[in-house]
Amino acid sequence: MTAQTVIFYAFAAILVFAALRVITSRNPVHSALWLVLSFFSSAGVWMLLHAEFLAIALVLVYVGAVMVLFLFVVMMLDVNFDKMREGFRGYIPVGATVGLLILVEMALVLIGGYLPAGATPSPGQTGPGYSNTSALGRQIYTDYAFPFEIAAVILLVAIIAAIALTHRTRRETKYQNPNEQVKVSRADRLRIIDMPLEKKE
Amino acid sequence: MSMQQLYLLIALSPLAGAIVVGLWGAKLGRAASHWICILGVAVSFVGSGFVLRDVLAGNAFNGDIYVWMTSGNVKFAIGFLIDPLTALMMVVVTFVSLMVHIYTVGYMADDPGYTRFFSYISLFTFSMLMLVMANNFLQLFFGWEAVGLVSYLLIGFWFTRPTAIYANLKAFLANRVGDFGFVLGIGLIVAFFGSLDYATVFGAAPKLATTVLDVGAGAPWPLLTAICIALFVGAMGKSAQVPLHVWLPDSMEGPTPISALIHAATMVTAGIFMVARMSPLFELSDTALSFVTVIGATTALFMALLGVVQNDIKRVIAYSTLSQLGYMTVALGVSAYPAAIFHLMTHAFFKALLFLGAGSVIIALHHEQDLRKMGGLRRYMPVTYATMWVGALALAGIPPFAGFFSKDAIIEAVQLSSVGGHGYAQFAVTAVVFLTALYTFRMLFLAFHGEERFGHSETAHIDDDSAKQLHEEPGHEEHAHGAAPRESPWVITVPLVLLAIPSLYSGWAYIDTVLFGNYFGGSIAIAAQHGGLATMREEWHGAVPFIEHGLLGLPFWLAAAGIATAWLLYIKRPDLPAKIQARTGALYALLINNYYIDRFNDWLLAGGFRRIGALFSDVGDRSIIDGFFVNGSARLVGATSALLRKVQSGYVYHYAFTMIIGVFALLTWWVGR
Amino acid sequence: MPSVATLAFDYVPALPEIVLLVSACAVLMIDLFVPEPRRHVSYWLTLLSVAATASAILYVFHNTPVRTFGNMFVADAFGDVLNFLTCLTVILMLVYSRGYLAARGLFRGETFVLAMFALLGMMVMISANHFLTLYLGLELMSLSLYALVALHRESGTAVEAAMKYFVLGALASGLLLYGMSMIYGATGTLEINRVTTIIFGGHANRTILIFGLVFVVSAIAFKLGAVPYHMWVPDVYQGAPTAITLFIGTAPEFAAFAFMTRMLVGSLAAVAFDWQGMLIVLSLLSMIVGNVIAISQSNVKRMLAYSAIANMGFMLMGFLAANVNGYSAAMFYVVTYVMSSLAGFGLVLLLSRAGFEAENLDDFKGLNQRSPWYAFLMLLAMFSLAGVPPTVGFYAKFAVIEAAVDVGLVWLAVVAVLASLIGAFYYVRIVKLMYFDDPVDKAPLAARSDMQVLLSLNGLSLLFFGIFPQQLMGMCVVALTRSY
Repeated sequence: MTAQTVIFYAFAAILVFAALRVITSRNPVHSALWLVLSFFSSAGVWMLLHAEFLAIALVLVYVGAVMVLFLFVVMMLDVNFDKMREGFRGYIPVGATVGLLILVEMALVLIGGYLPAGATPSPGQTGPGYSNTSALGRQIYTDYAFPFEIAAVILLVAIIAAIALTHRTRRETKYQNPNEQVKVSRADRLRIIDMPLEKKE
Repeated sequence: MSMQQLYLLIALSPLAGAIVVGLWGAKLGRAASHWICILGVAVSFVGSGFVLRDVLAGNAFNGDIYVWMTSGNVKFAIGFLIDPLTALMMVVVTFVSLMVHIYTVGYMADDPGYTRFFSYISLFTFSMLMLVMANNFLQLFFGWEAVGLVSYLLIGFWFTRPTAIYANLKAFLANRVGDFGFVLGIGLIVAFFGSLDYATVFGAAPKLATTVLDVGAGAPWPLLTAICIALFVGAMGKSAQVPLHVWLPDSMEGPTPISALIHAATMVTAGIFMVARMSPLFELSDTALSFVTVIGATTALFMALLGVVQNDIKRVIAYSTLSQLGYMTVALGVSAYPAAIFHLMTHAFFKALLFLGAGSVIIALHHEQDLRKMGGLRRYMPVTYATMWVGALALAGIPPFAGFFSKDAIIEAVQLSSVGGHGYAQFAVTAVVFLTALYTFRMLFLAFHGEERFGHSETAHIDDDSAKQLHEEPGHEEHAHGAAPRESPWVITVPLVLLAIPSLYSGWAYIDTVLFGNYFGGSIAIAAQHGGLATMREEWHGAVPFIEHGLLGLPFWLAAAGIATAWLLYIKRPDLPAKIQARTGALYALLINNYYIDRFNDWLLAGGFRRIGALFSDVGDRSIIDGFFVNGSARLVGATSALLRKVQSGYVYHYAFTMIIGVFALLTWWVGR
Repeated sequence: MPSVATLAFDYVPALPEIVLLVSACAVLMIDLFVPEPRRHVSYWLTLLSVAATASAILYVFHNTPVRTFGNMFVADAFGDVLNFLTCLTVILMLVYSRGYLAARGLFRGETFVLAMFALLGMMVMISANHFLTLYLGLELMSLSLYALVALHRESGTAVEAAMKYFVLGALASGLLLYGMSMIYGATGTLEINRVTTIIFGGHANRTILIFGLVFVVSAIAFKLGAVPYHMWVPDVYQGAPTAITLFIGTAPEFAAFAFMTRMLVGSLAAVAFDWQGMLIVLSLLSMIVGNVIAISQSNVKRMLAYSAIANMGFMLMGFLAANVNGYSAAMFYVVTYVMSSLAGFGLVLLLSRAGFEAENLDDFKGLNQRSPWYAFLMLLAMFSLAGVPPTVGFYAKFAVIEAAVDVGLVWLAVVAVLASLIGAFYYVRIVKLMYFDDPVDKAPLAARSDMQVLLSLNGLSLLFFGIFPQQLMGMCVVALTRSY
């Protein structure tokens, strides 16, 4: 057993444990923190696979930005998770049974008949000057330009949707518009009507 | 314009008229509506004339205009088969239809349903043309059902009359029985021939001549016999053969132009046409031909007897139609298809003439149809009178009128036939000649000769109240009931005259071509052993010798005797009929009650079947079908709905879970294998 | 270093997509400067863009498949036909829903832009030759649709519907990705046409392949709304604003059909025997469940949702025949279903007014007395959905049943006939309400003239193609045979 293998199993074990804690922990802040840990450990696994760029991007983007945002939201909105869990227990037996059965099936398939060793050759050693980042960039901007563009459009749609759904011109808000106020004329405000005299009965 | 486009134009121009007038008739107004419909049919008529000329020049057409879809080898298509048989039918149909269209302008002038009526008759013309022009069974069937549909619509045209509704229902039920046979026949054809195309089926028929159909119980049926009889059952419904004839007399509830167009000249002959069209099949089954002969002879004889005792002018002609249809059917049975079609043609002319003449009388007498309340009309309605004489002579079979030739040809063909039941048929067709002359001239004498009996009794109108309501238009009220009847307007008399012309000459003019001149060519098949008509052809020397020969024959003298008897009974000694009626009470009762067939049907269907039905309904329907299947399935549906509604709870995790279950089930099933 | 890749792709086959993307971005920008009362400028620009896209499709029409962008994009007759029909559907949807959107404050630039991006997503899916583009197209379409459903924020049901659609859609996406990764594991490629070659070459692990197939079929079934992945359909159809329901219920069906064809025919034809069995189950359940539950619905949109489920069951029945006849019957079915559905929902839209949603069956009462022509169009739509001749729905049902019978699935065909009999009940009930009941509200329906014309053409086309189905069927057959 090489050192690499040992490190892999260590990261993998931490990853599985942290992921489990994300969904079992009672405190949402704890959950978020466990999630941070699981991101770290998967970044470690990727590092072992020579995917340095992805590993660093994961830490920087997810741990650094997304999770912090997540923590803000969780802390600012006082969501009562316990209430949401009510009735959860009732579903545990059925859910767990089905989940377990699926797990068993998947395990049987994957253990029984996955690819024979060597079916997909290992990426091979790369020289010292090899840059994972530039290789990825080259791929994305050439061979994968089309999906990359579409992914960009998806992000654009996400932005449009987010703004369209949250931005609202509040009609109920009253505010002054001096520009309009200045331009007002008498005809807009004052209406003279002719009223017939009414006799007292 | 290519011929193919011409065929389409012929078929579609009445349809266009029907659609335009049907949808926008109220906006267009009466005059525009009838002009549109008449124009549509006139185009068809002229086109049919061209087609006939083209066919006479030796051209024929058989092809699909439009293939709707193909399923395996079975093709669902709209196509035309234009051959001499079709061309002849097209001309007859469009000519009579055109006459009826023009006539309707006068007859229905005061009816609130004027435009609706025009739309219907144009639609009918379209359906009938599609029927006769079909080159496949599917189109034949659709045309068949479409003409039936229009017929029901028109029988019940005055839908406020209960009798019309009853007649409508009766026609519908009787035709359902027939259609069941027809569909069965087509079903057998599709099952065994694998095609709906005439040409394919006829081509393959000889190969299947020996195929038997094992219907179980050790009684194998020759396939073609089964098919032919099934198809003929359809023809029995449409062409009103015993015992499915009950609807036709009642259909006289419809307006008279309809009686002329649909229930005398064209639609009821669809069955005759169909059998002639299927001659390659019928020729292969002697059993079926015998069946056809016997049914035809029975219809001819027994319906003619009924015609003698009727008092309603339209019913007399209706029974006469039944009897004449019997003639045509007999001709089919003895393989004299050309004779049947020839009689169909001449009959269409003179029977339409008689009906329209009767309609003219009815209109003149303000919807009086009872012969006992007519008489002496010849002085008031000279044109109607003269044309009715032509029609009557043609129907009675007096040379040189059209009916003589066609009828004598049938009688002779029966004599030369050897098909099973030909003896009976020969007796029937000969005896009917006497009866035909008797009832025809009885009607004529009662209506136009003798003393004037109309206007004597106002009670006559009471039983016609509901109809009268529809017709109480200002125009009619000007001359009070009982005022002298007057000749109908030109829109009515012109069609009468135009129909009288072919009733006069079409017999001797065309017998040579149609019957003996190999006019039909390949469109009608006659097997060698059924050579009656071929024998006649050998002995054929022209129309004049045929008349000379006819004058010496029994039928002519029977017809003359019939006329003489009518003269004796209804002009010379008008007191005699009542005495005869009194003497033969039971027979008269039997006849006036239509052999109690209606009563029997009511008893059997409405009584017996209803009782059987009630039994089935109690045991079968209520407890098994309703209780188990219907209510059970309703309960099952309800329970399933309730269960599924519980699943459709609105909770997103329930939905997600269902999806997971789905994945799980598929996984277990397919990966687990 | 790997060989230097280049950006010198052939861009012409993707011209329609490029036109659409550019014009969508343009409309997005222009709309910012359009003052509120002149919002129709954006609307007309949107229509113009979609029309331009449709013309571009006709301009570049491909008789033989062309692959570009590193084999990730394919332009073939199949894709071009479906793309074109999708564009037409979007145009009709925009015209039909104008009044409805305007009455609810949804006549906004965002609506148009999102609709265009959804259309782009569909077109990307339809033209995909790579699992990645297929997936990205799907996400682009779905994301736009989620947003469209939620756009009517004042309506609680719309937001709830969007939420359900989003969560379940995400689950389906997960299933799809998992399935695709399994297929990648078994074959070592994500390119659709290479997957076929590899499987036929015998270089794939069958167990893994079937394992992945289950997940892929599940995701497809979700998009089609086949039982048991159908649960979102009724809730979303009912909850969404009717105009958006019209959109969800029509154009994406083309995309879903293309998705299924690309995946199952384009890449997994070698395991047709296996997916055939799965589709039989889905088809059977959908036909039965859809039709049975539809009967008990009193809400038109919900009823049409179950009708959609049932109809997709019928479509699957044709598809699972796994031969050209079956595929073209299924394609014909989708096309005619979308046509009928457009007309049906168009009339529901027409019945709705500001502050009034025509959702209940009772709202159709006496429509014949109010507006006979619209009642007739609705009758055509209902008859077509029920499969009553001579409307096109009959021929469509006939074709799929025939396809199933041809491969020996007579029992399935019998179930289908029974199911359509059950189904006829609830469609004919609407006809009965329209023609034989008295209206509650006597006012005739009013529509803009462009909508009147298009809706009438739409309705009459159901009759026209019912009588002359051969050309349309021929188009489906040609599109498929020239592409596969």
